[in-house]
Amino acid sequence: MTVAWIGDRDVPITQAIERIAELLVSSLCPVFSLDTDVHGTRAAIALAERVGAAYDRLGGDGVARETALLTDRGGFFVAPGEARRRADVIVIAGQLPAAHHALVTEIAATPPDLAGEAPKPRQVFLVGAETQAAYLRKAKTMRLACAGADLNGTLAALRAQCAGRAVTKPVSDFARFAQAMAEARFAVFLFCGEMLDAPGLEMLQGLIGDLNRKSRASALHLPASEAGWGSSLASTWMTGFPLRTGFGRGQPEFDPWRYDVSRMIEEGEADLHLCIAASGDQIASSRKNLPLVAITPTDRPIAGAAVTLAAGQPGVSHDAVVYSSRVGTLVSKTAERRADDLPDAASLLRSIARQLPGGKALPC
Amino acid sequence: MLTRITGGEIVDPVNGRIGQGDLWIEDETIVAAPVDGRADRTIDASGCVVMAGAIDIHSHIGGGNVNTARLLLPEHHAAHAPRPANTPLSNAGWSTFETGCLYAKMGFTTVVEPAMSPGSALHTHLELADIPIIDKATLAILGNDDFLLSMIRDNASPQMIEDYVAWTVGSSRALGVKVINAGAAAAFKENVRTFSFDDVVPFYGVSSRRIVKTLQAAVTSLGVPHPLHVHCNNLGASGAAETAAETIAAAEGVPMHLAHLQFYSYGTEGKRKFSSEAARLAELVNSTPEITIDIGQVMFGQTVTISSDVLRQFSARGSANPKKTVIFDGDGNGGGVVPYRYGKDFYGSLQWAIGLELFLLINDPWRVFFTTDHPNGAPFTAYPDLFALLMSRDARKEAAAGVSQKALSFSTLGSIEREYTFEEIAIMTRAAPAKLLGLKDRGHLGAGALADVAVYRKGEDIAQMFRSAAFVFKNGDLVVRNGEIENYRWGKALRLNPPPDKAMVRRLDAYHQERYGLSLDWFDFPDSAIQREQPFGEVSCNT
Ligand SMILES: [Zn+2]
Repeated sequence: MTVAWIGDRDVPITQAIERIAELLVSSLCPVFSLDTDVHGTRAAIALAERVGAAYDRLGGDGVARETALLTDRGGFFVAPGEARRRADVIVIAGQLPAAHHALVTEIAATPPDLAGEAPKPRQVFLVGAETQAAYLRKAKTMRLACAGADLNGTLAALRAQCAGRAVTKPVSDFARFAQAMAEARFAVFLFCGEMLDAPGLEMLQGLIGDLNRKSRASALHLPASEAGWGSSLASTWMTGFPLRTGFGRGQPEFDPWRYDVSRMIEEGEADLHLCIAASGDQIASSRKNLPLVAITPTDRPIAGAAVTLAAGQPGVSHDAVVYSSRVGTLVSKTAERRADDLPDAASLLRSIARQLPGGKALPC
Repeated sequence: MLTRITGGEIVDPVNGRIGQGDLWIEDETIVAAPVDGRADRTIDASGCVVMAGAIDIHSHIGGGNVNTARLLLPEHHAAHAPRPANTPLSNAGWSTFETGCLYAKMGFTTVVEPAMSPGSALHTHLELADIPIIDKATLAILGNDDFLLSMIRDNASPQMIEDYVAWTVGSSRALGVKVINAGAAAAFKENVRTFSFDDVVPFYGVSSRRIVKTLQAAVTSLGVPHPLHVHCNNLGASGAAETAAETIAAAEGVPMHLAHLQFYSYGTEGKRKFSSEAARLAELVNSTPEITIDIGQVMFGQTVTISSDVLRQFSARGSANPKKTVIFDGDGNGGGVVPYRYGKDFYGSLQWAIGLELFLLINDPWRVFFTTDHPNGAPFTAYPDLFALLMSRDARKEAAAGVSQKALSFSTLGSIEREYTFEEIAIMTRAAPAKLLGLKDRGHLGAGALADVAVYRKGEDIAQMFRSAAFVFKNGDLVVRNGEIENYRWGKALRLNPPPDKAMVRRLDAYHQERYGLSLDWFDFPDSAIQREQPFGEVSCNT
């Protein structure tokens, strides 16, 4: 089975790894895109330090917005288990990615068991005219929307009305919402950075902060990407900083604009792109003339890649540690099948590091 | 490999060895002087003090809440300079890698993360595994979790409670058990805003006292070496000394450890209704032999408070500096992150003085532990300055002149003459922590002990001496020379491994299926998930 290619040509894996090391050494501004588990991320960050690379989530805008909520403001957050067991009112703030639909359906369909002696079925509200929740087939939902306003506008009006301020365009069914909030033991707002931008996230947390003056409410973070959030956590403990950190000057520097890897590619700052992806289709064709190193499960070279290495799939062909929205933390995922025997991204990255000048092993 | 550390002043209170002499290391272990006396390596320790590696029993070095704090405050830990070649990521401010290096440079070789949420044990252990050089350990948090509170409400047998505690400690790979504001996090979810020792958690009808007593009994009966580690109710509140006194009285002859007593030693005198009760609590500790405490010393400057006491952190949001906070309702305790700056105003000065009063008025160095509750009272990097304050009354007088004199008038600090000796420092930071945690292989320099050794060059400047050890050995490896890291090695996380009770595992699996829609496997992990060779070291329970 072929596992390594230089351009379109099959090569022994050692040769491909040497070629990647050469590319990294000659690059002045390498960038890494990550779509891998915690151990793949750890090895990638350790390698980034060695070669002075910047790193980001592959397609990382949603994760970056969620990160910015924490770095700029903070907020109220709740564990998914507590949301499931305690939330008597659920408010879905904007469209949620399909990856979370099964979980939200399950939460909506189960009665909370820690919401008092005789818990009633949960009430579900949808914020924003565009927010769809067809996946919640059985749940009765109530829409909160403002004529002519987008999601942020609706959230702003909701917060204002909750605080008793007058608004020009009131939120539909506000009275029902106000009553639900008055009666709620623990209201949980579901949010994701994929669809909600920085002002929207901020407004949502502002509303939750207001509610906590008198009663209890919190937010369940359903990340734009579970793998991305796992990478962000690992990056934070390893370097002190989340994704969009760069080692261009030796020490890690966090700058969500400067080290936005898509921007660095588009604007011609990057001169080498190393992409670790859970699936080959996710590797978008790079800027023209930008050498691409692809590390991904594949049985053929990735179109346009200078070097392709076939890697296993985290949690599928090898054991992995991933973030799970079901428990709100990192979990160990046992391989479903080990038949293809492909190495994990972490060990490939460690092999690359050993080919760098000095040949020292990575610290993880 | 045989190493001889020669000419140093050995301070080993456990073995009664105080005075100049040689210390021999063979591979990982301290050995008696060999007959032929030929060493492969000789370390000149003349002019130095030689102690066992220090052990920190309470420092928030990793896990979910710590990582959230990093995320909340990127502006506070910008990296300083390009890294030294041998130590990857060691200059990354507040990273796991930096943590291990900074501790090692001060001669600390074992550090306990005291607040691991059992549900995120894997995350915590992954972080700890990326802390180089030193050994680590964790305490698992119980006492706000539905499973335990329900069992107490339903009058479950002590055996069943022990089985649950044993399962939690075993599956989360913990070295002991901590209870944090028992019942308050559960009550806060029911919109309760203050919670004391005899208050009752709504829905469960169980008091904080009953939770603490239940866990204390289970921990004792299981033979967990470390006594129940208690973070009392009302942390930081004026008048909290009363709560601490009630909790001390509730020990009832059974060992109990009270965390960061400084944060409770507050009375209600003066126009600010904030005064020192340190002398009274120190007296109470002195007369209650089953009690051990650590201080949680406050030092001045910017820090961030990280606590699984979510109710307290919620109440403290108004004092956040800078103005951003995280409040997390977790499966059990959850937690909160509130950045804070300790100034030399009335409150900061009095907190600083209270911590020192406790250190100096509690007589027995075997029962008082050296902590700043990192980073809650101060980052652990302030330890060297704190050693200086304890060992020199002149250093204290000088520092006291720069703080609020009004605050000092509410404290006895000015009248205390005591200076800690090297022997007392070695007890408080080496021998006593090893004993408290049940770590028989460390904390002393006798033959057979693990070769964790710190060598400090004596000088006028006590802080400098402890900031930058002359030599540090971890498991016999020379890891620090002249205050600089020589190389990385990977320590272990020390854990207990009580066998799980099969009936309890079935019960927990059914519970997780029913209440979370998930099998118990979701809440456990294999050692291989850590991806380090031998990530854990096993410590045995008392029989
Ligand atoms: Zn603490």
